[in-house]
Amino acid sequence: MKKEIKFKTIVSQYCQLQPEEMMDEMRFREDLGFSSLDFMSMLGELEDEFDIELEEDKIINIHTIKEAMDLIKSLEVAV
Amino acid sequence: MSTKYSLTAAQKLHYRWMQQYKTQQVSGLSAVASLKTDLDISLLKKCIEMELERYRCLQVQFTKPDKNGEIYQYIPEKRNIPISFKDLSEMSLSEADDIMQRWAYQTFDGDDIPMCEFTLVKLPDNYNGFFIHIDHRLMDSCALVIMINDIMSLYTHYRFGSDFPGALFDYETELINDIKKSANEKRFMKDQKFWNDLLDKYGEPLYSDIQGVSVLEDARKKHKNKNLRCADIERENLFVAVKDYALDSASSKTLMDFCLNHQLSMTNLLLLGIRTYLSKVNDGQEDITIENFISRRSTKDEWTSGGSRTIMFPCRTVIHPETDFLSGAYEVQAMQNRIYMHSNYDPALIWDEIKKRYGTPEDTTYVSCYLTYQPLPVKPENPYIKEIPMHTKWFANGAATKKMYLTVSHTPDGGMNFSYHYQTAALCEKDIEIFNYYLMRIIFRGVEQPNLTIADIIGMV
Repeated sequence: MKKEIKFKTIVSQYCQLQPEEMMDEMRFREDLGFSSLDFMSMLGELEDEFDIELEEDKIINIHTIKEAMDLIKSLEVAV
Repeated sequence: MSTKYSLTAAQKLHYRWMQQYKTQQVSGLSAVASLKTDLDISLLKKCIEMELERYRCLQVQFTKPDKNGEIYQYIPEKRNIPISFKDLSEMSLSEADDIMQRWAYQTFDGDDIPMCEFTLVKLPDNYNGFFIHIDHRLMDSCALVIMINDIMSLYTHYRFGSDFPGALFDYETELINDIKKSANEKRFMKDQKFWNDLLDKYGEPLYSDIQGVSVLEDARKKHKNKNLRCADIERENLFVAVKDYALDSASSKTLMDFCLNHQLSMTNLLLLGIRTYLSKVNDGQEDITIENFISRRSTKDEWTSGGSRTIMFPCRTVIHPETDFLSGAYEVQAMQNRIYMHSNYDPALIWDEIKKRYGTPEDTTYVSCYLTYQPLPVKPENPYIKEIPMHTKWFANGAATKKMYLTVSHTPDGGMNFSYHYQTAALCEKDIEIFNYYLMRIIFRGVEQPNLTIADIIGMV
């Protein structure tokens, strides 16, 4: 749960929503207004904060809050 | 005592140019913002003074270089930014623009001095506002637009009682964050690996000129090296000319709709158009590098903290001519997305690595075209002044470090503006006209029939 809050807090720095307003199915680009630069910068920050490595072929499948959170969780388990 | 901070990678970019070209002129940034209405000039001055406190990047000064040539930035304890007044109303707007253009050529010479000045201006046809002349290390174009809008919001608050504008994020706090991020060793290693891997994969880049293959051939003769892959940089005659081409709103909408419908960013469509033209005039060259400027503003704090966050990275793509236009655009986009993820890196390190690997001669480059795409409109959304005609204009600093630098922006009428700054030592207006003509033909042909191959489009236009 703490990780989810940390994740959403990072996401909230890039958009107008507060962490508690974010829902799983929200899409980064269409719903949260992320540009490509915003999205990639955020992924870089997630890598640093969660100490994970995001692979390109996995990144292209991330569209929603839930997909990003699930990927982080799976990578943390792998580590 | 003010705290001294090192320069960020974006600031270093400008500082290096100043060192290489031996003038601060290359780092000048100037613009005028005015409204066709009777402004209260003393109130406007008060708002600018408030802005100096709200937007503290305006106050930044630089130390004298130390024995290693390094300079540091700081915010002085006592601010001393000059705000003067000039009445230019007794002439035509074009003559007033000429005068302001001359102001833009001025340099800030010296250490530990203000690097910014404001001039309140009374312009012809009842346009009134202010001119700002500033060092690019203090502010980029995004920051400038935000500042103009903030000053206007302050003005309308005091003049018409509109809401007081929200706080802007503190420049110094964001600077500390940036310096901390750049000191993250693990992140640095990842970024370095990304850029070095590209060289491992593609090898030494290959120069492509907007005037065609003769430029590289001349460089090969000059350096007596038939395998040379880079060309010379103009270091002496830096005079720059500017040529603007407008794209009407209907045509601009066609491009924007195409981007929206194909989940493509405008930057990448433009990059594909430019690289296709370079390929066309360089015997079908597939390996093309274009320098693309990125304004590193993603978080809310980054957006409102001011400063200079614009940094350029080489967008190098190797695209086979049988690739269809849309796939080509996605290839460019994939590369740009990877670059975005590694954009905390200092781009000078990329060129240092190339030089180390391939022995690139001094004063040469692999790039002839530079692109900036500015999605942010200068027109403010402030309801109190939204309907008032504006005269805003960017003034070139008169000294180009780049052969050809294209700035693409959106205009208040829904159109787009293609503004070319080019070194007159190498290029003339005809070169730019030809470039823009083919760029438009390539992009619109590709947008109309995205399944056409790059080779088809090159043949058709």
